[in-house]
Amino acid sequence: MTSKVLGALVLAVVVAVISVPADAQGPIRIGASLSLTGTYAEPGTFQSEGYKLCERDLNAKGGLLGRKVEMVVYDDQSQPATGVRLYEKLITEDKVDAVMGPYSSAISEAVVNVTEKYKKVMVAPLAATTSIFKKGRKYAFMVISPAEVYLEGLVDIATKRGLKTIAIINEDTLFPKASAQGTEELAKKAGLKVVFKEAYPKGNQDFSGLLIKLKAANPDVLAAATYFDDAVALARQMKELDVNPKMTAVTVGGDLPKFQELLKQTAEGIYGASQWEGTLPYPGAKEFFDAYVKEFKHEPSYHSAAGYAGCELYGEGVKRAGTLDADKVRDALLALKTRTMFGDYQVDKDGFQTAHKMVLLQWQEGKRVVVWPDDLANGKPRFRR
Amino acid sequence: MTAPRGAFPAVLVVIGAALAVYPMFGTGYGIRAGLQMFMWIALAGSWNLISGLTGYVSFGHVAFFGIGAYAGAILITSAGWAWPIAALAGGLAACLLALVIGYPCLRLKGPYFAIAMLGLNEVLRALVSYFEGLTGGGNGLSLPTLDASRSIYYVMGGLAAAVTALTYLILTSRFGLRLMTIREDEIAAEAMGIDTFYHKLAAFLLSAIGPGIAGALTARDQGYIEPISVFPLVVTVTMIVMVLFGGKGTVWGPVVGAVALFVIQEIVWARYPYVHPLLFGAIIVAVVLLMPRGVLGLLQLKYRLPRTI
Amino acid sequence: MNVVLTPAMIGQVLLSGVLSGALYALVALGLALIFGVMRVINIAHGPLLMLGAYVTYFLYSRAGMNPFLTVPVSMAVLFVVGLLLQRALVFRVVGAPELSSLLLTFGISIALVNLTQLAFTSNLRTVEYITGSWIVGGLALSKPRFIAFLFAATLTALAFLFLKSTRLGKAIRATSQSREVAMVCGIDVGRIHLLTFGLASALAAGGGALLAVIVAIQPEMGGVWTFKSFLVIVLGGAGNYPGALLGGMLLGLVEQLASLFLTTQLSEVVAYVLLVVVLLIRPSGLLGGRQT
Repeated sequence: MTSKVLGALVLAVVVAVISVPADAQGPIRIGASLSLTGTYAEPGTFQSEGYKLCERDLNAKGGLLGRKVEMVVYDDQSQPATGVRLYEKLITEDKVDAVMGPYSSAISEAVVNVTEKYKKVMVAPLAATTSIFKKGRKYAFMVISPAEVYLEGLVDIATKRGLKTIAIINEDTLFPKASAQGTEELAKKAGLKVVFKEAYPKGNQDFSGLLIKLKAANPDVLAAATYFDDAVALARQMKELDVNPKMTAVTVGGDLPKFQELLKQTAEGIYGASQWEGTLPYPGAKEFFDAYVKEFKHEPSYHSAAGYAGCELYGEGVKRAGTLDADKVRDALLALKTRTMFGDYQVDKDGFQTAHKMVLLQWQEGKRVVVWPDDLANGKPRFRR
Repeated sequence: MTAPRGAFPAVLVVIGAALAVYPMFGTGYGIRAGLQMFMWIALAGSWNLISGLTGYVSFGHVAFFGIGAYAGAILITSAGWAWPIAALAGGLAACLLALVIGYPCLRLKGPYFAIAMLGLNEVLRALVSYFEGLTGGGNGLSLPTLDASRSIYYVMGGLAAAVTALTYLILTSRFGLRLMTIREDEIAAEAMGIDTFYHKLAAFLLSAIGPGIAGALTARDQGYIEPISVFPLVVTVTMIVMVLFGGKGTVWGPVVGAVALFVIQEIVWARYPYVHPLLFGAIIVAVVLLMPRGVLGLLQLKYRLPRTI
Repeated sequence: MNVVLTPAMIGQVLLSGVLSGALYALVALGLALIFGVMRVINIAHGPLLMLGAYVTYFLYSRAGMNPFLTVPVSMAVLFVVGLLLQRALVFRVVGAPELSSLLLTFGISIALVNLTQLAFTSNLRTVEYITGSWIVGGLALSKPRFIAFLFAATLTALAFLFLKSTRLGKAIRATSQSREVAMVCGIDVGRIHLLTFGLASALAAGGGALLAVIVAIQPEMGGVWTFKSFLVIVLGGAGNYPGALLGGMLLGLVEQLASLFLTTQLSEVVAYVLLVVVLLIRPSGLLGGRQT
């Protein structure tokens, strides 16, 4: 190896690693990494569209603190480790003024260590796991309802209907586990008997063994804490193995339009949990829905709405604090109590969301109908005979 | 054309000094990137020890990285160990795993060993998820917050240097010669009286330590691990590509491959994340067909460099 | 959660095992052929299956074809793809050290998966043609899986018939027994290699096409099939073609039983442990075959 070649290599390394720092004045730059490819690509893309729309709307209203808002988004490929690197890059190299959260609890958990290290306020709109916010973090804020209450509506409807037994299954990752645990606690409190419980690995496609056991346990209700892919596989295989509880609910996935597109008739009657629906009577919800469809040519999911609301809430915090200073914005966000197009917002001292309500929806004749809670519902649940 | 005698060590010293001084004026991101580059050098170099020298392709090598990550993380969180010691423990854990896996599997001939290693990382991921009381399962493990990137940079750099030095020592020793004999013709090696099983196992154990320590260090640096992120196939793939590209069975081949591909990865990945695996696949195909001895192999031919480079 | 296991449940599980076993056998047969004839370990086998599934998906969703009728089309397309791959890349590593063919097919597999991701995105696709089940004697017989089973069994039977009775089939078997002797007998070994790879790709595609009706399709779906096909070959014995049949059935049954008696989490581990155990105790496979 000649010294020239080696020298060139070293130079290349150094150059690749040091990038030109961004201009600090001018627009307010908000950085984030989102799952645009990989396992979470579907919801991650929805969230990024929510961010884009919020950026546009904030600027249309004059920006923040008299400056334009510019979002800098990278793709973390649905990997926590990549997300960590990207937030380091955003904060130390790109020198963004603020950050917004990524998709999913797992990635949020990983990157919040970085944002805490550099004392940057991070509104994490798609982090639904309680534990993230109970580790003494100071600058993290939750927007959506926690995983544990995703299926609160299911348990409520089941109890009111007089059903007795429930089976709980989940994917073995952060969010579904928390969701399953929360559902189990809610079920026990309501007097339902948990007759079957099993976890399956991420990426699992074959549920036959699990379903055969579940069928034998004969539950009235099936609560499945899933993501999208497994929810689809599960629904199909239940049909194939003739597993028919009176109520079946999935967590993530049941609320996406794609669920029905892929499954068609098989989706009928399945319940999904949603953080938000376009039909809910929140201020600005309809306007958001219409503007979104106009801009992106498809309907928003709750991930879009959460992303939009999270960005809006951060903007509100900055406005009330009158500065970008992290500690002042933090105090503003802690004290804030409001209702956005996404629903109610109020956090406790840890930044944990206490006011937002989940809704339960059901696929009826190819359409999503909100069936719980009563004050937000626009239809009644239908039961298998 | 040959380089003057003292040039190579001199260049090494200069580069070493530059890398050692870098953290003083590098950004957090830059230090992390440097640390990752060292990690890849260590990983590639370790893979080379078994697959490059003996010809036994280890498709599941990331398993040692993951085991090291978990061992280190568990010791740090549950037993409160200091991370440097936990890192060494990670290397030891990986070594033990290599013993458990290698003992049965290395008795198999080449292709069967490769097949057996194919599913290893998935199995380990499943096991880690299963023993969730210990490992946190799908929830992952969160380490207490600690900003030690700078120190880890140096330790990882040391690891990379150590693996490279180890490769040099082995390649220039009788032990290494025997390993390469196994690669060239295992039956002849056995006929010559070499205990192929013992040699393969020794190489396998040595090849596991590097990834084990690297895994534990990475876990400390990232602050959070979960089964998917520490047992991904793509890590094994990247190790393989780096070694093939640089030149398997050489000392500096893995280093060249690791640095070159890491730099390319930084530039390409930032712009075109979508074609990343395709490029890797294409590089593997190209190297296997066109330059099976890697970059270093080509240079060795052209400049008549010593075999032990 | 502990559930009391009844004979009906075990019966259901065995049924599932048999249904999936036929698919395993079909796909693994292709891999066995490549290994037997060319001593090449084709890690790209799973991606070939995946491409077969995509062909079916597009014919079904764009042209409205009955997905089961797309099977021959899928197989034909991948037959050609296989020929091309062999002619362009794989033939260069036949006879080379196994490391080369392993790495080459490994590179090809990564490239194929990524190309598919680029072309079609990682979004799930499904072929919602037939769902649900018939209730037979208290057991649920999944409609899509049963029909796929019939096709798979037929295809596998045809493949065996081909290998046993036709001239080309015999030439393939001869080449896999001994390359040199086959050449001496006047067989064009290069051509046999070409056709074998094409045939094996077609078999994988057939499996993929059938699979498309049962599970959701995505670019990464092939990887686990490569591993399972290897497992089948190891169980049945490398180079032992009827062994692929036995191995396939065995794997199907063991997997389903494992997920019943253990949890879904551990059933992956079981398959792997089975592989290692068989490799150690009887490396030539349960039916015996060629020693490498």
